Amino acid sequence: MVAGRIRDRPIRQAQKEIRVSGSGMSLWRYAAMRVVQSLPLILGIIVINFLLINLAPGDPVTALIGDFPAPAEYIETVRQQFGLDQSLGVRLLTYIGNVLQGELGFSFNYRVPVLELVLARLGRTLVLMITTIVFATAVGLGLGIMAAKWKDSPLDKFAVGFATVGYSIPVFWSGQLLILLFAVRLGWLPSSGLRSTRIAYEGLALYGDMARHMILPVLALSLRYIALTTRLTRSSLIETLNSDYVVAARTRGIPATRILWNHGLRAAATPIITIIGYHFTFIVAGSALVETVFGWPGVGRLMYESIGARDYPTLLGILLMVSVAVIIVNLITDILYAFIDPRIKYD
Amino acid sequence: MKHAGKNLIVFAILLLMVTPALFGGGAPERPVTVRDDMVIAMGSDPEHLNPAITTGYPVAAVTANVYSALVWRDNEGTPQPDIARSWDVSEGDTVFTFHLRDNVQWHDGEPFTSADVKFTMDEVLSQYHGRFENIYRRISSIETPNDSTVVITLNEPYAPFLISLTVFDAPILPKHIFEGQNVFDHAATTAPVGTGPYRFVNWDRGNQIVVERNDNYFGDAANISRIIFQMIPDENARTVALQTGEVDYIWGFYLPTAGLSELRADPNIEVWQGVRIPALYFLFVNNDNEPLDNPLVRQAIMHAIDRDLIVDLAIEGLGNTAIGPMGSAFPYLYDEAFDLSSLYPYDLERARALLNEAGVGSFELTIVYDSGRPAFADAVDIMRDGLSNIGVTLNLQPQERSVMIESVYMQRNYDLSMQSFTSGGDPSIGYHRIYITQAFGTPFVSATGYSNEQVDELLAEAAITVDLDRRGELYRQANAILAEDLPLFPLFEEKSVEANNRDLRGLRESLDVRDQLHRARWAD
Repeated sequence: MVAGRIRDRPIRQAQKEIRVSGSGMSLWRYAAMRVVQSLPLILGIIVINFLLINLAPGDPVTALIGDFPAPAEYIETVRQQFGLDQSLGVRLLTYIGNVLQGELGFSFNYRVPVLELVLARLGRTLVLMITTIVFATAVGLGLGIMAAKWKDSPLDKFAVGFATVGYSIPVFWSGQLLILLFAVRLGWLPSSGLRSTRIAYEGLALYGDMARHMILPVLALSLRYIALTTRLTRSSLIETLNSDYVVAARTRGIPATRILWNHGLRAAATPIITIIGYHFTFIVAGSALVETVFGWPGVGRLMYESIGARDYPTLLGILLMVSVAVIIVNLITDILYAFIDPRIKYD
Repeated sequence: MKHAGKNLIVFAILLLMVTPALFGGGAPERPVTVRDDMVIAMGSDPEHLNPAITTGYPVAAVTANVYSALVWRDNEGTPQPDIARSWDVSEGDTVFTFHLRDNVQWHDGEPFTSADVKFTMDEVLSQYHGRFENIYRRISSIETPNDSTVVITLNEPYAPFLISLTVFDAPILPKHIFEGQNVFDHAATTAPVGTGPYRFVNWDRGNQIVVERNDNYFGDAANISRIIFQMIPDENARTVALQTGEVDYIWGFYLPTAGLSELRADPNIEVWQGVRIPALYFLFVNNDNEPLDNPLVRQAIMHAIDRDLIVDLAIEGLGNTAIGPMGSAFPYLYDEAFDLSSLYPYDLERARALLNEAGVGSFELTIVYDSGRPAFADAVDIMRDGLSNIGVTLNLQPQERSVMIESVYMQRNYDLSMQSFTSGGDPSIGYHRIYITQAFGTPFVSATGYSNEQVDELLAEAAITVDLDRRGELYRQANAILAEDLPLFPLFEEKSVEANNRDLRGLRESLDVRDQLHRARWAD
């Protein structure tokens, strides 16, 4: 949810600027300006997250000591080590100072540097999410195009129905069903994990093994994205194909397929790219569930576990890195607009 | 030309987006033959791998076979030689002389000596291990007359002393690595160097921890060459992984009772059930809050809690409700005369009569419990139902574990709170703490505010009494008081359940199922 909120503002702002400024600014200057603009945003994210996390009830030390009463001296030592004996303000300033030096701190819960921990997990989540987005976009586009082209046909009705159902099924449920069918009943695919535990593959075989482990989570995760992309593609394409310039093109005798690709899809691409960028903003929120169901060691699960353990440095590190990732994706999305929509110009 | 340039940039951006895919791969490992390893499912990563600075379950689960201790406890709970080859006990049970095994090496090749034992106890365990600290207070000196002898002298006899020297309470750390170092962030706290049957190989956080056979182990070398601890956060996914053969063994701690019937029906899976280290499930009662300060009210509530139904519905029958205030698993402390299931059966009439006698009308109580324990939520629902029949409204407050600890132990901001405490293998280790007078603000001890000098004295005496007949008599007296005062509501004592691949042998050789895994093997 945090990610969603962060995203909205710069996009709207950016679209306004694109329309207003019109001339005099190169693409790269625009990008640089956006990066500079995002700095206060990131600072705000740090401060708000820091306060929210630290003011929530629960103590990271009690989460660590086990199930027996810990010696008072131990609790004191841990508190000092974590810097929790200092006031909130001092801790916040120290944290900001450290972040400015590229230092994200040391995880309370895992006893390793946060940067290392989060990067490894973020990588795995991205593998899952990018595969999902690529797959879902391809399928969703295909379904959407066919539905728009043969509007009101049985295929169209299927696509619309599928989009409605697919969007409504929660991922933890579809995930369980997929596991029951393909892992337990049929035994075709592994039920969970990143790769085979027993057989350690190397090289290409390792990637093949990982791909096999990704099939079910990607399917479960894709359902929603396919549904969303299908609906969006269908509706924007139908709108475009009914617009005056397409009608004009048709009267000029341009073949229907060429109209579809050159006129229709090009105009419909902008909202589709928006939705792809939008998917990225849900990397953490969207992956937490699927990562839990499928035992995929990604950043969503790390965040969930860090909340339970009150692992402040890890939580802040995740939120910060995800925020930065979202800002970058937004920037990329905006740049892609310029290539796809002839009306948007940065220079 | 311009067009091609555009395409190139789009392509480059897409490439950039896909590059992180390369992050995901781990270092390629040597392929191993199937069935020479064992995969054990865990719910989440341990916080670290240093068993000397925590009493948490997952840390010990992984390290119990990497580190060694002076003794281990067999199925019966009897101490057996581990890194101590033998020991002598003085008359009066206060001086213990341990003779260590010779030529033992740490996994890094350094020799193990008595200095490691003294260092670990004096410098690490005594300060950072919750259970050992309690032992250490009773130790007057630890001497090392030579490299293979450790002499520990106690202030006074302590009944569970020997059994408190296992790898769960007193793992021995390498002095040459930890001396003068910060144990919290030292590399060996996450990559342990021990003397146990398995050596640490690697830890892929969130995914798995691998240990492999230590060929220089001082005892019988492990049968299975690698153990993989696989993190599977979802309960159902753990059960499924056992069924599909991706996992070989799930300890009771990580086994959801909801999936048991399915596992029992599976011919490839063995489900084991029984009592190992007893654990007591109970309700803390805030004795400072009205009307719970009145013993009659507490008795009334006890009558209105259907413990048998809770065991049947919330934990699939895996509990025993015929218990005294300190359970029933230790034969010397159980006395039928103080069995709570006969003293306080589920009886709403009796409960109402007691409330009348106490002059209390209807009232509300807040029950706080760990929202991460599904069995707790089910049990609390059943209690709410029962209590509503006697005019008591139960307000449910499920809280995250760390928040629950704060409400119950730090602030005592609760009326009732569901908890489960392990006995630790001896009532004085795990059960005394829930009844004796406790200072405010310590987690995992009594949070009731109950203080009875006589109980305190009897239990203190029981802790230092080695003779079991005499010890039993002390517990009988304490139980008599506790059964009447009812400072908290014992619900049931848990039966352990575990599930494993049917072809695995040699599991559960020790009292705590987590150690002695080098004895496990695959059937031929």
